[in-house]
Amino acid sequence: MLKLVKAEAGSPPPVRRPSRLLRLLSRPEVGPLILLVLELSAFGTIRPLYLSPFNISNVLDFTVELGLIALPTTLLMIAGEFDLSVGSVFGFSAVLMWTLFNSGATSLGLAFVITLAVAGGIGLINGWFVTQVRVSSFLVTLGTLLVVRGAALYLTQGFPQRTWSAAGSRLAAVLAGEIHIGRFHVYMSLFWFIVAAIVLHYVLAETKAGNWIQAAGGNPGSALARGVNVGRTKMVLFVLTAMLAAASGITSSIRTSAANPNSGTGYELEVIAMVVIGGTALTGGRGTIIGTVLGIFILRSMHSGLVMIGVPGLAYEIFVGAIILAMVALQAWLDRRQQAEG
Amino acid sequence: MAEELVRMEHISKFYGRVQALRDITVGVRYQEIVGLLGDNGAGKSTLIKILSGVVQATSGEIFLHGRKADIRTTADAIASGIETIYQDSALVPQLSITRNLFLGREPIKGFRLFNRMDHALMDQAARALLLKVGVTKDIPPATAISALSGGERQAVAIARALYFDSELIILDEPTNNLGVAETRSVLNFVRNARDSGHSCILIAHNIHHVFQVVDRIVVLRHGTVVADDIDPRKTSIEEVERIITGPDAAEP
Ligand SMILES: Nc1ncnc2c1ncn2[C@@H]1O[C@H](COP(=O)(O)OP(=O)(O)O)[C@@H](O)[C@H]1O
Ligand SMILES: [Mg+2]
Repeated sequence: MLKLVKAEAGSPPPVRRPSRLLRLLSRPEVGPLILLVLELSAFGTIRPLYLSPFNISNVLDFTVELGLIALPTTLLMIAGEFDLSVGSVFGFSAVLMWTLFNSGATSLGLAFVITLAVAGGIGLINGWFVTQVRVSSFLVTLGTLLVVRGAALYLTQGFPQRTWSAAGSRLAAVLAGEIHIGRFHVYMSLFWFIVAAIVLHYVLAETKAGNWIQAAGGNPGSALARGVNVGRTKMVLFVLTAMLAAASGITSSIRTSAANPNSGTGYELEVIAMVVIGGTALTGGRGTIIGTVLGIFILRSMHSGLVMIGVPGLAYEIFVGAIILAMVALQAWLDRRQQAEG
Repeated sequence: MAEELVRMEHISKFYGRVQALRDITVGVRYQEIVGLLGDNGAGKSTLIKILSGVVQATSGEIFLHGRKADIRTTADAIASGIETIYQDSALVPQLSITRNLFLGREPIKGFRLFNRMDHALMDQAARALLLKVGVTKDIPPATAISALSGGERQAVAIARALYFDSELIILDEPTNNLGVAETRSVLNFVRNARDSGHSCILIAHNIHHVFQVVDRIVVLRHGTVVADDIDPRKTSIEEVERIITGPDAAEP
């Protein structure tokens, strides 16, 4: 359809472009958006309470905590890598911080900083194995998933950690303080989630770093040839993902007043599901933060909706799996569509 | 000033025990298109990969403008003004034309820490470049590379080399898989590049394509230079083909 002009003299062939509607529809965020709207209206119709401020507030609590992991994971996956260790880092960080604090060795603030640094170290280790030793991130982070979970269990001997009442702590208020807006009660984590989404969207869409992230996953060979530091780009993303997973785990432990060495188990798959449902290519190179935000809400509001209409919580995964299959099929179809048009 | 832009001296390359290049000495003059010919496995790609920093020579030296150059990485090569255009692999298919043109050298606007790309400047430059290399303005610079034809992709890659004023543009098999009209366009881009002051090394399977544009032909056989000053205007294609395949039996 697109033509070089140098070709032959004479009238140029008529240029056929995809219709405006089709171009709009083939934006990667459209599928997820439609899905979310359908889902909210369906559950809202069956159970009007579903859309009540009370329920929305409840859903948001945990949604934004998982979302805080899904956001950096999006960038990592666009750069062509996975992180399966985020669920373990989530659980480990909370118990590490509370163990440090409970032992009396550090203040809560210092424990928080040390924990974030340790999480950053885990990210560095992931990134180092992937970029320097050149092992697939799937295998590397499967390894750290086990090591970090094992460390959390060993550190606590398998017991939940005492979490001290958060009242009065500045750190707790900043991370997980409660706010009332009208009839909604939300936590500070919502604010941090929004900040993270805006910043990471900006990074991906507007900055040089964003260009590098997409190039690193799209065609690492040519990115390297252009002087893009693919290794360092991925390294930074592994560190960022691990640190936000830690922040999420800590925030969650303050909100629920529980630090359990097993918490976060299985989150890695739910997070990857959110990112994929949001339209990020599993093969890297393509994806958006807006899509992931939609993917986050699709999965968590579905969870709440299913519980409210009386579907057993254990059946949740059936629906997650079905939606992943549907979205992946939709993406594949749009891709083929675009190829044919292009 | 040296009479040659690039000179490679006594270059040898081993891949493990396999010797791909033996004591190659060859140069490219200013504003010259050199055709690099040779059978499959003759060492053409290896030679230009050494120039573009993809692999390193086992021994030998490279000179740019008569000064010794140390090209260890692709970034070194680009910084020294050497652009390499492989078929397809030079671009990121998911990214737009604009983003590909500036990949690795994105102009930053405003406060540096914010790292924000200068989208306006990039788009404007991309539009101008597409016109310069002969692509209609019907292709918006925001189009993803994956939506372009093979010839258009080559055009984008060449546009990038022109924009960053690379002194040497290396094209390894740029006309493979292209149609007749697109091949002609690509060869035209190469000619334009030379006429606007760049030097080129062109590797192509199709000898006819090479004959149409190059100023001089260098032939490699089994990793050695067997001819380095063939004038395509004074030599027949058949003769060059004989040099490429070499003597069947004896003869040095
Ligand atoms: N990465 C590599 N590892 C081992 N041998 C290689 C490699 N690349 C090329 N060779 C060998 O080096 C020789 C020259 O190859 P190449 O430069 O690709 O030739 P051409 O581009 O002229 O076809 C061949 O014998 C080839 O098998
Ligand atoms: Mg070759």
